[in-house]
Amino acid sequence: MAVPAAVELVDLALKATKAYERPDLSVRLEQTRRRLADPSVRVLVVGEFKQGKSQLINALVNAPVCPVDDDVATAVPTAVRYAETTSVALVREGDDPDAPPQRTEIPLGKLAQYVSEAGNPGNRAGLSYADIAIPRKLLAGGLVLVDTPGVGGLGSAHGAATMSALPSADAVLLVSDAAQEYTRPELEFLDAAMKLCPNVACVLTKTDLYPHWRRILDLDRGHLERAGVRAPIFPVSSSLRLHAAQTKDDELMAESGFRDLIDYLVRQVVGAADVLARRSASQDVLMVTDQLAAQMQSELSVQENPERVEALMAELNKAKARAEELKRNTSRWQITLNDGVADLQSDIEYDLRDRLRAIGREAEQLIDDADPADVWDQFAQWFHQQVATAASANFVWAHERARWLAARVAEHFAESADVVLPDLQFQDEGMARKVDPLTQPEVEKLKLGGAILTGMRGGYGGLLMIGLATTIAGLGLLNPFSAAAGLLFGAKTVKDEKKRLLERRRAEAKTAVRKHIDEVVFQVGKDSRDMLRRTQRQLRDHFNALAEELATSISASVLAAQNALKTTTGERDKRIRDLKAELERVEALARRARALVADLPAQQPTPVVAR
Amino acid sequence: MTRPVQPGGAPSLGAEVRILLRRAIDVYRDSPAAVGWLQHHLARFDEPLRVAIAGKVKAGKSTLLNALVGESIAPTDAGECTRVVTWYVDAPVPKVTMFPRSGVPKQLTISRAGGGLSFDLLGTPVEQIERLEVQWPSQSLRAHTLIDTPGIASLSKDTSARAGAFLAPEDSPTQADAVIYLMRHLHATDVDFLESFYDQGVARATPINTIAVLSRADEIGVGRLDALNSARRIAQRYRADPKIRALCQTVVAVAGLLAETGRTMRQHEFAALTALAGLPRKEVDSMLLSVDRFSTMELDAGLPDAETRGRLIERFGLFGVRLATTLIRQGITDPTAVSAELVKRSGLDDLRSVLATQFTERRDLLKARSALLAIDLVLTREPRPSAAPLAAEVERILSGAHEFAELRLLSTLRSGAIALPPEVIAEAERLLGGEGGSPAARLGLDPSADPQELRAAALDAATRWARRAESPMSSRAISDVARLVVRSCEGVLAQLPH
Repeated sequence: MAVPAAVELVDLALKATKAYERPDLSVRLEQTRRRLADPSVRVLVVGEFKQGKSQLINALVNAPVCPVDDDVATAVPTAVRYAETTSVALVREGDDPDAPPQRTEIPLGKLAQYVSEAGNPGNRAGLSYADIAIPRKLLAGGLVLVDTPGVGGLGSAHGAATMSALPSADAVLLVSDAAQEYTRPELEFLDAAMKLCPNVACVLTKTDLYPHWRRILDLDRGHLERAGVRAPIFPVSSSLRLHAAQTKDDELMAESGFRDLIDYLVRQVVGAADVLARRSASQDVLMVTDQLAAQMQSELSVQENPERVEALMAELNKAKARAEELKRNTSRWQITLNDGVADLQSDIEYDLRDRLRAIGREAEQLIDDADPADVWDQFAQWFHQQVATAASANFVWAHERARWLAARVAEHFAESADVVLPDLQFQDEGMARKVDPLTQPEVEKLKLGGAILTGMRGGYGGLLMIGLATTIAGLGLLNPFSAAAGLLFGAKTVKDEKKRLLERRRAEAKTAVRKHIDEVVFQVGKDSRDMLRRTQRQLRDHFNALAEELATSISASVLAAQNALKTTTGERDKRIRDLKAELERVEALARRARALVADLPAQQPTPVVAR
Repeated sequence: MTRPVQPGGAPSLGAEVRILLRRAIDVYRDSPAAVGWLQHHLARFDEPLRVAIAGKVKAGKSTLLNALVGESIAPTDAGECTRVVTWYVDAPVPKVTMFPRSGVPKQLTISRAGGGLSFDLLGTPVEQIERLEVQWPSQSLRAHTLIDTPGIASLSKDTSARAGAFLAPEDSPTQADAVIYLMRHLHATDVDFLESFYDQGVARATPINTIAVLSRADEIGVGRLDALNSARRIAQRYRADPKIRALCQTVVAVAGLLAETGRTMRQHEFAALTALAGLPRKEVDSMLLSVDRFSTMELDAGLPDAETRGRLIERFGLFGVRLATTLIRQGITDPTAVSAELVKRSGLDDLRSVLATQFTERRDLLKARSALLAIDLVLTREPRPSAAPLAAEVERILSGAHEFAELRLLSTLRSGAIALPPEVIAEAERLLGGEGGSPAARLGLDPSADPQELRAAALDAATRWARRAESPMSSRAISDVARLVVRSCEGVLAQLPH
């Protein structure tokens, strides 16, 4: 949420950097300002299919924006955001991450043709997402609700794609209807989601329909507790809320359970983003004021005590050396970063290979135990699921480790530089989002998830599917089904002939499995290497910029101190008065920056994750 | 039932398999294990058909079982409930027996608690129980023994594993002759599970013993009055889906709760519903916005109190109450008529007629199939030279019996492997008995059609398919299909009185 106070503060600080001729500091503040200008807070609505996800969004915004049907499920992610006039656009992102996505405006009534399984089965049209903008107060704070295709457990392709979009989300709502308690796949999904996203909440839908929803709620709470998942559950009825809004019935509205959910979204989710925005704005401004003050302070001390100039210069030079050191490749944070990324890269790849090797072994065992011609369909599905699950698990783990590395680098930088930790920013994948504001919001943000999403789609959906499809075709030639049905029972007499063919089928099936695993290692490996490289670049750029600023500030201080010696005694008093006044002005700015975060809760310590 | 004698005067399939079972017992007389197993199957031949009700957790298996039986006997609950495989068998006196994995069967005491029976397991942990057998006097159980199974994809892995081990055991053919598979919406795990039924040698080619049920059909349309139409439309879509056709006979939509309640509605429930139906329409609609409102709203004295309404909603569901009050308001004042209408709308009648055509009429065939699987298992486990003729006989029956040929061809047609226009495939499936084995069902005529009409239709079909079989334009696969269809038509003709 754009906090007007924060924007105002940053504007003031910007003026100060211009006045004191520190364009290097302006760059940082301008980035901060751009970041504040983008208020998007993305909330992913996920869950098994046919649980009422689309209807939940419709009820939240009180408008039939997402197509709802008894039968047909959602096939394309749909983002619902704020705008003053209603509009709907279909977005198609190309393979080239730098090319701008292609947008097509369509009327709202036509949306179902593009985003539902009926109109666009399995997202054949290759849409990246649908983008709906509507004028709703709830969304005005920057809330963006994203409706996702239902998952059928961790192993399904949709599940993997949803998983990859989690890190770039500000919150996740897991939707499950009150017909039954949580199933194993749902709990597994929750567990993974908790690791990837800071805000996870559960929504129990359709409470109007099920007399036993309170029992289910209790059972679900029990399941969450046993699984160690700390997430609130909100029982709601979308149809009651829509009805209540139509009839303006307050009592019904209360019964729908939406107040708590909306309260959570506004306070916790948007609130958390708001806190983050304030913290980062405050911190960036404080950093600027500190550096400006340092320069004035050093001049002031020389002006006040010219006899101590030497001691001061010595200190400044020491600081300067330290700042220079920070910029060098041999500095501690640089080493931590470079070594860390290299380690991570090999660890993650090892982890993936390890997981896949286990699957490969099991697959070969299965092939040896049966005739691939008979079991191929089931086998292919099983195998595909196992691989997708392994890739998801690897992704979650890689992500946790990368976050942990970012925290360590920040820590080491802070230790040597004695600067404030650029806080929370490193705690979410945000690296791209919050730290590097050049990566622009929605388009880019979806891109970040999107890049991996497309990777997943290409890697785990399309490519793998094609790989398996050709193998199936190959096996099909050996086993024409029409003949098989009649021959199966009579085939025992030709055992020898069959045995020779069987061996060949087995060998072919195993080759297919190995080739496929290679392909996965290649694709997924590339994805995680890219992710790491991005992380490394962003961290390096961020901290290098910081080191640069520090060095410039110290140089400026040295210069100011030297210049101070040249002033005459007559001028000195005036200069001291001026400097004190300037310092007071900078200090006032710092006070405002501190006030911005004064009433915020204490910051949580950086979580440390290791395997 | 099935005709005793085949068109050519050969002994019926059932008789052939029975003879084969006896011969096998004779060959294996020195192996007590084999004899026990085979004798068990001989006895099973005369038992009612065993129909297992399977599905994911909370798919409504026990509720549907109650609806089929017409009594609330299987325990049901909002949470996961059935954790042990439970057989419901017709018997003169009620009795519950627990079969532990090891040790002797124990008789349990029966008590009735709210919904369904409850059994005291005498402190035996569920994982040590192989199955429970509930003997219960019931007309409905006479036609087929029903088997309630724990849900798959349960949070408790052991419970899922027990269901899997029962329905698709790794080491022996399944104990059930046929399966009703329940699902709420078709989920990937449902497909996996359905597929697992066809892993086994002989059974592989027969999705013939499975019917899929879209259960909790009233909830699919979130309890709207037209919810069941919506559910039927979905079932129809699934029926047309080649992937699902290859896995089960057909898909039916059933609102299990409505069916159970319809069959067991009590007078006081009807009275309460009538009182509610007397309220102004608007008031009833506003009450029925949610279950909470319905059961807690303040009403005038004399109308059903909150507790009564709470029980009503539990028994009928929101949809059931909506439907029942609408029916009463429309002028149906006889409780029997209301309950019949509820059962009809629930889709239970559809399911029962499908059960009759697909399972009961094919009883001998399904039983023969189970028995052949059992013999096949003995032959592979304990091969011996003297058993060689038996193996040949199993092969002969499987490849020779026209019933099995029909089954295999049905599966092949359903798999889409034969390139014929859809309407021709549909006719072939019907003639092969895909929609029921009676002459009228095969010919697609009304059950009341007179023999003359049937004969004419059968002759017509036979001539047409014979032409297709001999046409030089037909590929070999199509000729084979056509020849089998002609044979089925001849079978129909032989069955008709001259």
